[in-house]
Amino acid sequence: MKTIIVVSWRNVWRNKPRSLTILMAIAVGLWGGIFATSISAGMMKQRFTSSIETQVSHIQVHNPQFLKDDNIRYGISRADEIERFLAKDSAVKAFSSRTLVSGMIATATQSKGVRILGINPVQEAATTRLSSTIIDGYYLSAGGRNPILIGKKLADKLKLKTGSRIILTFTDTEGEIVSASFRVQGIIRTNHSMLDETQVYVRQNDLQSLTGGRAIVNEIAVLLHDLAQVTPMVEAISGQFPENEIRFWGQLSPDLLYMNEMAGASLMVLLVIIMLALAFGLLNTMLMTVFERTRELGMLMAVGMNKIRVFAMILLETTFLTITGALAGGILSGVTIYVTSRNGIDFSGVGGDTLSDYGISAIVYPELFPGFTGNIVILVLITSVLSALYPALKALKLKPSEAIRQ
Amino acid sequence: MNVIRTFGLSKTYNHLVVPVNALVNVNLEIAEGEFTAIVGPSGSGKTTLLNMLGGLDQPTSGQIFIDDTEITGMKESRLIDFRLRNIGFVFQSYNLIPVLTAIEIVSFIMLLQNYPKDKMEKRARELLDQVGLADKADVRPQKLSGGQQQRVAVARALASNPRFVLADEPTANLDTQSAFNLLDIMLRLNREENITLLFSTHDQRVIDRARRVITLVDGSIVEDQHFEK
Ligand SMILES: Nc1ncnc2c1ncn2[C@@H]1O[C@H](COP(=O)(O)OP(=O)(O)OP(=O)(O)O)[C@@H](O)[C@H]1O
Ligand SMILES: [Mg+2]
Repeated sequence: MKTIIVVSWRNVWRNKPRSLTILMAIAVGLWGGIFATSISAGMMKQRFTSSIETQVSHIQVHNPQFLKDDNIRYGISRADEIERFLAKDSAVKAFSSRTLVSGMIATATQSKGVRILGINPVQEAATTRLSSTIIDGYYLSAGGRNPILIGKKLADKLKLKTGSRIILTFTDTEGEIVSASFRVQGIIRTNHSMLDETQVYVRQNDLQSLTGGRAIVNEIAVLLHDLAQVTPMVEAISGQFPENEIRFWGQLSPDLLYMNEMAGASLMVLLVIIMLALAFGLLNTMLMTVFERTRELGMLMAVGMNKIRVFAMILLETTFLTITGALAGGILSGVTIYVTSRNGIDFSGVGGDTLSDYGISAIVYPELFPGFTGNIVILVLITSVLSALYPALKALKLKPSEAIRQ
Repeated sequence: MNVIRTFGLSKTYNHLVVPVNALVNVNLEIAEGEFTAIVGPSGSGKTTLLNMLGGLDQPTSGQIFIDDTEITGMKESRLIDFRLRNIGFVFQSYNLIPVLTAIEIVSFIMLLQNYPKDKMEKRARELLDQVGLADKADVRPQKLSGGQQQRVAVARALASNPRFVLADEPTANLDTQSAFNLLDIMLRLNREENITLLFSTHDQRVIDRARRVITLVDGSIVEDQHFEK
């Protein structure tokens, strides 16, 4: 067997230009495939992290009634106990309790429907990126009367600046309509432009005092240190507080779950297509090899090399060719990903701004899709076996007496 | 003792417009230690006969026995193994393995035979020494002359320790000096090692040295001469 390996390896280098051509095709094809999927993977990871850190968090707690009928009246039961429970658990990075109500924001001339989030500024700053999205003015603080944060898009629509006064109108826990005046303290811009138009942030206690002074909490968003902690944490909270609805990020944002699951599959399809194309090139190369060596193969069979060994020789030769190419492509990809992942690739010049509408920043940090390395290795091996099969069978069909005559 | 026996061996090539009777009722016995030349005009069936005897092709009718084993009708996979263990081949156009060195080529056959590894190199060197190529052990075929390549082929043919060696026009591509040289080696192996050699040739120089000359015309044996040398 060792000799067959040696013969196969040396055979690879018999026709250097041809071998190098197919080698390069494999290397470049794989490099392109891996790099493209890494950019996608980077984007997706970013989109995921961004979704988690700006809106969804890992886990959210609600009153099940609130989910059916979006009414401020349906608060989480034993919210204070849940907060204490979360504060003690080391898997929890941060959490934020919110009071939610839909209402209207109005200036002297215009009004718009908005979602009003009553937040604890300190908790919220630790749980989401809200505080770092301020582009004008200041984040919510303890001081001042009725401050409000609004999105850049909303500010533009309503022609508001920091310091502008607006009126919020909404229904309180008793079903009474309440209005109050707020002052724009800061303008935010997230990379989710839709939310920038429809969500406003006020202090939870301001909101609570307007709605009857009850410390009602409609939502607790929980951020964990580690994605792997999500399921046990959901179980733990559900176990302790079964009267509430505890949902993890995949339930809160099915898109995100779907994206995570589909992304791997669709990127794999891309790689499979690339490898399929390469397989044809490889097949062609190996067929040429077999035809060129008809006489030699005939001789080998004449002197007693059996079919298994002939088959193994051609399979090995193909595999060496593929693996060498794949190795080159892999190294190339590794270097490219390493270099680009440090500084990111700036797509803002090529339509990167529209990316931000989808929660993706214009600078993408490519990374190898998790679990892809193993798949690629398997894919490469399958490719070489597939493309070796036909040429090898051709070789086996040779009749030594005729092959030698040629 | 006869190494090769054939009975009513015929071969007809049918895939052409006109069927070609390449061999017609050939009955032949080759004894151990013979040094036999098969001669005849071009197209007389020399290569066809050697291919049949070497188990590289099957006759249309008739039987071939190597010692007591019938190889006609044998399954291809068994036949490959049979060839590996019983028959040595030397081809007209050398047909070596271009990516291997002389010694690797000779060892290759032993490897296929699962010859004990520790003795392999020693035996390969001995064989190369016998064909006068001890100093070319680590050279690849393309760096060898035609005569040298053909001598490597002889060493390779002997490596499997075969019952007999078949050579189809082994000197056809060689200059006179190389041809004589090769012939001397083959004769010596025949005399000293009692190697049974059967070869086809057009080459009068080779014919003159053979101890038995079988003449084929149109696929039939027309003459079978034995010489004392
Ligand atoms: N594969 C084949 N298909 C058809 N006809 C063949 C085939 N091989 C040989 N023949 C025919 O069989 C006959 C004998 O051919 P063969 O090659 O055995 O002759 P030869 O004596 O070796 O000739 P040469 O001295 O030219 O090598 C010829 O007529 C040849 O054309
Ligand atoms: Mg011939």
